[in-house]
Amino acid sequence: MAGFLDNFRWPEFECIDWGESRNAVASIVAGVLFFTGWWIIIDAAVVYSKNGELNPAFHTCGVMSTVAFFMINAVSNGQVRGDGYSDGCLGRTGARIWLFVGFMLMFGSLIASMWILFGAYVVLKVNVYPGLAVFFQNALIFFSSLIYKFGRTEELWA
Amino acid sequence: MVPGRGRKWDRIRSREKMAGIKALVGLSFSGAIGLTFLMLGCALEQYGVYWPLFVLIFYFLSPIPSFIARRLGDDSDAASSACRELAYFFTTGIVVSAFGLPIILARVAVIQWGACGLVLAGNAVIFLTILGFFLVFGRGDDFSWEQW
Repeated sequence: MAGFLDNFRWPEFECIDWGESRNAVASIVAGVLFFTGWWIIIDAAVVYSKNGELNPAFHTCGVMSTVAFFMINAVSNGQVRGDGYSDGCLGRTGARIWLFVGFMLMFGSLIASMWILFGAYVVLKVNVYPGLAVFFQNALIFFSSLIYKFGRTEELWA
Repeated sequence: MVPGRGRKWDRIRSREKMAGIKALVGLSFSGAIGLTFLMLGCALEQYGVYWPLFVLIFYFLSPIPSFIARRLGDDSDAASSACRELAYFFTTGIVVSAFGLPIILARVAVIQWGACGLVLAGNAVIFLTILGFFLVFGRGDDFSWEQW
């Protein structure tokens, strides 16, 4: 019973050469997710800001997620491993701290958006759409940053 | 056959130029169709508001990141580069924004949903046209600003 899927293989889709264009596909997917997240919150802000249904302070999560996205993607994986000929402006340890802070901001914003959804909308039994918008904005930015960071390979840069 | 000399080379080059001109005419036709959709979304009797013309800003902005990336980093033969990927990211963002703006305008009833649909169709055609320009005229062993 254990391992019964071991010999399963996905069907082959070899029509496109994914190797060379992997980075481009990852960048495009990340772009779609990131900007869709922002347009979801813009939509909520346009439709729901009349009666204070979307407290403007809730935009903070999205802003911090975006800052975290650019922090995470500002350092390459090579910098963090210590490859490369130069130390960059922070060196290897500085790059690791920068990445650590970036990921903490990203996770923190995601958790904050969940807290907002549940604490300010679900529990109070008001219209839940603005809370969902804040949550989806941050979730989409989170996944976008994961794809942009880990979906690209740095071997194609050499 | 030595490239650059002889009648056979001239015939091949003139065929390439003819193909370039056909592609140019085709792309300008599709661009005109896309802009027609956009103008229909604004100017038809039952719509009449011109807010959707703001997507023209996104049409003009969309090739800019790619041009910047090509100017900054075209020296190596690497398959890709961080600069080019960032350009793809921002270009995708501009395209998504051009689709998002009419939807939001329709959601708050500034424009009607029919106008929104026409603008979205125009967006699709225009962005495919711009992509076609990059594919047909952007590649080449010597990327120069005049391809013919």
